[in-house]
Amino acid sequence: MNANLLAVIMNSTIRSTTPVLLAALGSAICSQVGVFNIALEGQILIGSFTAIVADYYTGSVYLAVLCGVASGAAVASLVSVLQVKYQAADMVIGTSVNLLVSGLTSVLLYTAFGVKGSFSNPSLKSLPKINLPVVREIPFIGRVLEQLTFIDYLSYVLAAVMFIYLYRTVQGFHVQSVGKNKEAAGSLGIKTLKIQMIAVVISGALCGLGGSVLSMGQVTLFTENMSSGRGYIAMASASMGQSQPLFIIVSSLFFGFCQAIGMSLQNVIPSQLTLTIPYLATVVALSIFGRKKLKKK
Amino acid sequence: MFLELKNITKAFGQTVANDNISFGLNKGEILAVIGENGAGKTTIMKILYGLNRADSGEIFLEGKKITIHSVQDAIAHRIGMVQQHFMLFDEYTVAENIVYGKEPSKKGFFDRKRAMTIVQELGVRYGLFIDPELRVEDCSVGMRQRIEILKVLYQDADIIIFDEPTAVLVPQEIEGLLKTLKHLASLGKSIIIITHKLQEVMDVADRAVVMRKGKYVGERKISETNIRELSYLMVGKGIPPRQIERKEPGKTVLEVEELYYESDGVSILKGLSMHVKEGEIVGLAGVSGNGQTELIQCLTGLLYPSKGRIRLNGADILGKSVREIRDAGCSHIPEDRYAFGCASRADLEETAIMGYEYQTTFSHRGILNQKQNCSFSMELLTKYNVKYNSIRDQAGALSGGNIQKLIVAREIEHQSKFLIAAEPTRGVDIGAQEFIHDRLVEKRNRGDGIFLVSSELSEILSLSDRVYVIYDGRIQGEFRREDATTEKVGYLMMGGHDEQG
Amino acid sequence: MNKAKSYGKRFAAIMVQPVIAALLGLLVGAVFIRLSHENPIEIYRNMFEKSFFNPYYLTQTLTRATPIIICGIATAAAWRAGYINIGVEGQMVTGAFTATIVAIYAPLPGFLRLPISLLSGVAAGGAYATIVAVLNLKFNSSIVICTLMFNYVANYIASYLVSFHFKDSSGDGLSLMTKTIPENTHFLQFSASNTLNLGIVIAVAVVILFYFMERKTVFGYESKMTGLNPDFSRYGGVFERQVMLKTMALSGAIAALAGMCEIFGYKYRYTDNMFGSASYAWTGLMAALIADLHPVGILAASIFLAGLQVGGQAIQRTSSIPLQMATVIQSSITLFVSVKLGIKLVKKQRKKKCQDNGGQSNREGGGAA
Repeated sequence: MNANLLAVIMNSTIRSTTPVLLAALGSAICSQVGVFNIALEGQILIGSFTAIVADYYTGSVYLAVLCGVASGAAVASLVSVLQVKYQAADMVIGTSVNLLVSGLTSVLLYTAFGVKGSFSNPSLKSLPKINLPVVREIPFIGRVLEQLTFIDYLSYVLAAVMFIYLYRTVQGFHVQSVGKNKEAAGSLGIKTLKIQMIAVVISGALCGLGGSVLSMGQVTLFTENMSSGRGYIAMASASMGQSQPLFIIVSSLFFGFCQAIGMSLQNVIPSQLTLTIPYLATVVALSIFGRKKLKKK
Repeated sequence: MFLELKNITKAFGQTVANDNISFGLNKGEILAVIGENGAGKTTIMKILYGLNRADSGEIFLEGKKITIHSVQDAIAHRIGMVQQHFMLFDEYTVAENIVYGKEPSKKGFFDRKRAMTIVQELGVRYGLFIDPELRVEDCSVGMRQRIEILKVLYQDADIIIFDEPTAVLVPQEIEGLLKTLKHLASLGKSIIIITHKLQEVMDVADRAVVMRKGKYVGERKISETNIRELSYLMVGKGIPPRQIERKEPGKTVLEVEELYYESDGVSILKGLSMHVKEGEIVGLAGVSGNGQTELIQCLTGLLYPSKGRIRLNGADILGKSVREIRDAGCSHIPEDRYAFGCASRADLEETAIMGYEYQTTFSHRGILNQKQNCSFSMELLTKYNVKYNSIRDQAGALSGGNIQKLIVAREIEHQSKFLIAAEPTRGVDIGAQEFIHDRLVEKRNRGDGIFLVSSELSEILSLSDRVYVIYDGRIQGEFRREDATTEKVGYLMMGGHDEQG
Repeated sequence: MNKAKSYGKRFAAIMVQPVIAALLGLLVGAVFIRLSHENPIEIYRNMFEKSFFNPYYLTQTLTRATPIIICGIATAAAWRAGYINIGVEGQMVTGAFTATIVAIYAPLPGFLRLPISLLSGVAAGGAYATIVAVLNLKFNSSIVICTLMFNYVANYIASYLVSFHFKDSSGDGLSLMTKTIPENTHFLQFSASNTLNLGIVIAVAVVILFYFMERKTVFGYESKMTGLNPDFSRYGGVFERQVMLKTMALSGAIAALAGMCEIFGYKYRYTDNMFGSASYAWTGLMAALIADLHPVGILAASIFLAGLQVGGQAIQRTSSIPLQMATVIQSSITLFVSVKLGIKLVKKQRKKKCQDNGGQSNREGGGAA
């Protein structure tokens, strides 16, 4: 394999990783507080949609991203109220919200722009691509890091921040404790319900950010169901990374790599087979982890 | 008085758990609050610790009236409690658990190193050593308790409540705990210990408050009393023993030899041997937590014993499945009716046919015989006076007494040679109690063997032809009906030995 | 007589909530229709006419409902025993794809071709679900996540096989699909003018058989009790591992049947991602949730949801409302159902908490061990 191809694959890996990584962090924060959130898919999709709408109407990419984040958080608030506060079944809420967003975005797409299927417009601005001044001159690494957006970089920063918050601060310690033993945390004066609800909303914001990069990063358009299962992939990535942000970087990169290699090497290995690997790997990871737990019991 | 409780009353629905209770606690004193199950000991302590709220009554600390509405209030008044059910995070380290809620920090960052040293220092100061880096999931029960104690000490509690602290411990650990309690008291901490193990009370307490059925019965200085007096106060006169016609028991139905059971490396049953014959009720008396639950589950196939021999109607049933054991002639009224005895969302018919469903009259080639099952269930409900609206009612909708009657009906009507009745009347009203007792005696008179396990000594003494006393996973002693008195049995239940009784 | 009445009453009680939720869902839809500058009443009239009240569209609705009903039953079969199988889609793909390949390529005499294909499909779907059950028993891995992952695995592997090994190269070569199955394996079609076929009969039969299984068999009883309280069934002598393996296998087998009805009923070939894009499995799941796992309720809810989808397609053709309006209505309905259930649950728990506290005073100190 020549270096150029490798650099292209790595670059493509990074780009495919970002939305999954962000959503996986969202999934992780929920499972850290003991909430099973499967509405990630809908939270991503609404982010993609709202970002494009805001982009179109405001002309500002940053405002657009902000709107994407806010919309993700808004959908998550719905989940948080119904699922956490009123304790409706997680499966029901998750699947309904995912479907609702998928339908709603299509309907609104038509109401707002009068189109069906997908929307793009020359006036839409995409996220600015960062070409680091010195780095881009370095032969191999320059290729690997070319044409990335600030969100691509931001996602790793967010993962690191989340790790430090959860594993190093007192507050993070309390947040984690809610997922470990809600009853005990509650008995020691922690507001467990509030923490769980906030965590779900944060997951929505992260997914919204992931959704924005999806519709405004490599491409600048919105297509129906453009999240295409990334929410579920993110759940897989989070559970493979055992909800630990740094592990999740690795597992998400692995998922991104499988996607990238599938696209780049279509003629060598069927992409369907490379795409299967992460899911099988998740099952294997869960089995190894589950067995450890079983033994302890 | 350092702390005073005045006229505390608390009711849960119909039942009055605490009826106008008053007592006090001195500084540096160890006070034992004793009483049988259901006497209301835990309730009053939960009120003091802010877990329950009293309906009426007042609490005074150093002469000043205080209000405690939450655990945080209690902690603010330097009251701490080591609950029976530990509140720990298994995946966290010992140190993290101890400092929880009041963590040492630098600019919001959790200073885990300081936490470790704090815990180490705390351990040195109070003589409670434990490796702060250990994860709680790797700790034994005794160590977990030590963590809870250190947690309370770290929160600077002056008054520490222990709820049945020795119930979960093995004897060596108990000894250590009692030493710790004395040591803490000598350092000026005031301690309340809830228990019904009188030997421990004699060993460690300065004073004992006795409660019975939600009421304050009296208090004694330990130096001026003895076990006999305390157990008399605790149990009261008791119900006059039921008149049971004498009957010669038949051949042996259940025989247990040298039964061992181990869980997580802790041995719980330690070579227990016993037997039950046809036509007798054999009671198992003992303070809960001495292996009764495990014994029952080993006998019924819910747990696998590590070694020993169990023979039922002559067949070896050790390690057999629940169904095989049931088929061999064992029915079972479970200790906890909601955990094992029913499913609260199942309807009455579904509840009634459990354990029968695969038998020939109830199903044929995998198809349920619904007509027969329905009429069978109706029959049970009528025969055992269960109050219900419709057979399609959910089991959870029945009152505790009625669901218990249904479970008793189901198990007795199996007509098996042997019945395990665990806590058959726990939490049911007097009427249902009498009714269930009558049914048990009837079954015995039909010539079946009954193994009665109960934490109510009076229940055991009034029904049993023979009584075993279990202590620390072994049979501590055995009495015939006419020899079994509250004093003698109670003494063995506390770990005393036969010859002294 | 009395018994039938009480069953009817209970069924009605179960359906009250979904009906209210359906009305609320339609109301939400009306708001969005209004936002799109259309008349909701007009749209709904059109929508329901072109899904239920016109014979041709009714057959379309029933055709579409077929896999949804069976998927709903497949979901209910596992969920009622407490095993959250959300891998119906994967099991459907595995079963249907296997059956299709067997039907096309296996050297079988004509009269055996259909039954053998169907049996192999059912076996494949059941086996695929059982893998997850075994993983759970051996390794304690979460059934929810594993079944979800297995959806993707099945879809991708079928996609790989249809792209490389079993691709129909007779057409334009662009669409990824298998050859058509031989004519003698096609399900009976009731009329040449519409798509309605034997599939709907199978679906109704599945509902009836499931209803029977659930209420009248020892297995149905034991799996229900395991779902309600696993300790209770263990205490009563139920072999819970067997129940789990059987339940998952059954659920997977039913799921396979759903896919096969679609292919042998009127599509006659496997096309890449055909089940994923139609989201039969998820709609079936919704139907099961709306009906609170009641088989007859699932039948009704599935037909209703299928009608919404067919009606949605119709209004897309004649008005400016996109067919996804159906999805909005559908998901609003399940949200409303869940909210009501949720609130009921919270109330119940609060009540129970009070009782528990009361109970504790009686049982104080009892649970030391």
